[in-house]
Amino acid sequence: MLLEIRDLHKSYGKTTALAGVDFDVARGETVVIMGPSGCGKSTLIRCVNRLTEPDSGSIVLGGRDVLALQGKELQDFRRRVGFVFQHFNLIARLTALENVMFHLVMGGMEREEAAERALAALDRVGLKAAAERRPDQLSGGQQQRVGIARALVSSPEIMLWDEPTASLDPILVGEVLEVMEELVEHSGTTMVIVTHEVSFALRAADRIVFMDRGQVVEEGEPERVFAEPRSEIARLYRKLLIS
Amino acid sequence: MLDFFRDGFYKDLALLLVITILLGAGFSQGTAWAIDEYFGDTLDQMIGEYGEYDLMLHIREEAVDAALRELRRIGEQSFPGYKLGQTLTIAGQANVFFGLPPEYRTREVFESITSYFGAVPGLSGYTLMVQPSVLIRGVHPGVRDELIERIEALPAVRFAVKDGSNLVVLAQSEDDLPKASAQIEDILGQYQILELRFPMGFAVDTQEVGERALEVLRTQAGSSGSRFANVTSAQYGEDLDAFLKTLVEMRDFLGSYASKVRISPEPGVGLAIGERLVLKGAGQSEGELIVEVTGVFSGLGEGMIIEGSPVQSTDRVVYRGFRPADNGELGEFIGEVEIENERYRLAYAVDESLRLLGELEELAVQASAAVDNAEAVLVTFQEALLQLEVLQVQMRQLNEGIANGEAKPTGEQFLVSLLLNGLLQTLAKGVLSSGEESLDSLENLDIEEMRRSLNGISTQIANVQQIDVAAIMEQIGFVRDTLPDLSDAEIGQSIRLINTYLGGQVIPGERVQLLIRGERLNEKELERTFQEELGNSYLHTYSTSAGMVSPDARGEIFRILREVRSIVAGLLAIIFALIVLVLDHATIFSTLKQLRAGRRFQKRPLLRWADPLLLLGGAVGSVLLSSIYHLAGGEIPFCGPVVISLLGFGMGVLVVALSERFSPVDSMELMAAQALGLSNVQLMREVVIPPSRPGLLNLLNRWKQQF
Repeated sequence: MLLEIRDLHKSYGKTTALAGVDFDVARGETVVIMGPSGCGKSTLIRCVNRLTEPDSGSIVLGGRDVLALQGKELQDFRRRVGFVFQHFNLIARLTALENVMFHLVMGGMEREEAAERALAALDRVGLKAAAERRPDQLSGGQQQRVGIARALVSSPEIMLWDEPTASLDPILVGEVLEVMEELVEHSGTTMVIVTHEVSFALRAADRIVFMDRGQVVEEGEPERVFAEPRSEIARLYRKLLIS
Repeated sequence: MLDFFRDGFYKDLALLLVITILLGAGFSQGTAWAIDEYFGDTLDQMIGEYGEYDLMLHIREEAVDAALRELRRIGEQSFPGYKLGQTLTIAGQANVFFGLPPEYRTREVFESITSYFGAVPGLSGYTLMVQPSVLIRGVHPGVRDELIERIEALPAVRFAVKDGSNLVVLAQSEDDLPKASAQIEDILGQYQILELRFPMGFAVDTQEVGERALEVLRTQAGSSGSRFANVTSAQYGEDLDAFLKTLVEMRDFLGSYASKVRISPEPGVGLAIGERLVLKGAGQSEGELIVEVTGVFSGLGEGMIIEGSPVQSTDRVVYRGFRPADNGELGEFIGEVEIENERYRLAYAVDESLRLLGELEELAVQASAAVDNAEAVLVTFQEALLQLEVLQVQMRQLNEGIANGEAKPTGEQFLVSLLLNGLLQTLAKGVLSSGEESLDSLENLDIEEMRRSLNGISTQIANVQQIDVAAIMEQIGFVRDTLPDLSDAEIGQSIRLINTYLGGQVIPGERVQLLIRGERLNEKELERTFQEELGNSYLHTYSTSAGMVSPDARGEIFRILREVRSIVAGLLAIIFALIVLVLDHATIFSTLKQLRAGRRFQKRPLLRWADPLLLLGGAVGSVLLSSIYHLAGGEIPFCGPVVISLLGFGMGVLVVALSERFSPVDSMELMAAQALGLSNVQLMREVVIPPSRPGLLNLLNRWKQQF
């Protein structure tokens, strides 16, 4: 297993976000996490790269105890984890190219090499021509593709996707999903994707995990969980898929 | 939280703090110094440098050129090496500095300033500003000489000079000033002026009461020596006293000059002092008058006209008096009011006197002519009488001849005899029965006495003619013209104003001043004793000092300037620190707040309240402000190091609390930077600081920023 999560707990004051989550991801596997809003999906993947500190539990990624990492080790670890945000989280004052190469340079790579790799990543998401544009000159879909290129450029061990299409116009969702499916199909990178896109999950996921109230309530292969849903949440998503 | 700084940002923060402190101190001190320099230079131009000038002469603006010429002449003649300078002209009064050469800074010169400079054109006064000196203000005249003697005995003092009611004490050197000041204060502390004040209206023989009060003091204090003295008379010339007395006299004069108002109320009608009445005249020409009741005696009232003018008449004018109604109409009839216009009577008498004097001169001329005529008649009369006597003798002889038959009168002689007797009878106004008796009577008239009488009258008339009637008339005319041209209403209002002023004065009555040497006495404890012993329960006691050491005006101004500089520096330090906290440190605090949002929830309440970020903000604020404040030389009253440190702490805490408002940080960019594995220092330099508010942090960051 590349990622092993055990008995993970997280609360925000009196609100419980994760209530003892156990969750594994195998190397090269694409796992889609689904569940209603507030069920702890985003908290779970943010805990994986320590954007959110869990209250208890353990996270092991590639054999490393993630929660024990501090300082430079944590920074190095984060560079090997790609993260795609729901709101793109691009740095507004930098161009698309700079956004993508930025952390490579910060990680010590030569500027030219970083630029070369960033251009390649942008090319992969179909945005090489927009390399010099700033985020406010790009559409939502383009911004998210820059975000994907930024996560992809450092060849991460695992990519975490936090509802990458949730803040896009329905018209723009397609171009992002297309890039995502292409990456799933050809990159070979381990991916954990939080999304409500049921058809995408059915097409792209190796495994779907359903969460509710901070807990994993059901998981399995897409065909199985949609054919024979055991949890209420899975049944709801099945209805959504059918409709 | 300290981990945040460990990976390198502590260097940025340290550099920021050091540069901020140095810049802040430099800015605060520099600005304060510039202000100080500006005002210092301005003051030097206004009042000269320390010790440069000794006198400030106040001269009427229009005479300043002539005054300067005269001052140069005086300087060249009497004070070779003098300095002259002109400063501000305020309200038509120019001020000119005069500096004496050191050898002329002597007691003799300072005591003779008036004789040297008294003739300067337009001079309206002068101020001694000799340095180094101590100024003692309000020195009581009763103790002045004694003080001068004691002060001049001090080793640090050169001499003391009287300057109006002040004493200027020249110190041996500037360094001696503090010592001299302290010693003079000590001497002044050994004198107390105890004042006994009597309310207005009490006629007090101040000398007698003063002696009795001294006895009371001696008995109380068990001392019979020279510890106490009555210094009342020494204070009589005081301006305020004289002014108040003049005001009282003026009020009395105006009161006697105003029309007399006598109110005879109807039976059952009461009058109140201060009440206003409306007077209505009988005729159309007599307008309405408003009268204020000033006194009520045995049911009759006296008043003062405060609006309107009565009819100009030497006679009494009777009005009908009413109380004013609320609607502006006449109210209750209160009785008849008589008004005598004293002012008009006086003017009438003066005019009549002038007429009389005009007639007197003419009368004297005519009387003189009449006396001359009378004298001529008298001489003629005397000659006629002599001729009559001769004629009488001839007639007697003729009569005797006829009787003896020796002569026979002619018809002419008989006729003359008859006529003469008839004439004599007429002259004697029919009193005499015969011509002989008539002549005897005429001879008995005292012609000489009549002549002496005429001479006496003539001399008196001559004396009257010698009187300079024209001069008398001119002066009476002058008196008439200088009589105040005031209406009754104006007089009434003036009296009311004077009464208001006098009523507001705290020194309305007589007072007795006693000098107490040595240990001070408690005047309030003595008040009751004085009231009992002097039999006046209305007197009050007050205590004043024999004089007050006043700070040297110039030194005081410069000391205030230094204080202002320190205060300005302090205030600027506070402002600078606050600006830096808001512009620079708020960004850091805001970032720290964002970063800890995803941390574990602090379950221990104590730690939740003792927020490390607040403590950090307080510490930064405290260090910043304390350092800038002290390096800048800030000194704000009541703000010692602890207060400033606490103020800085408070400012820091406040900025932490409001940091997101002052300097919001884009949480999404921050999260992305974290997720991309940026170190804290990279995160700050590349993501947080570049878009932050322009400030020192932003400026310093530009050298380290890669993107």
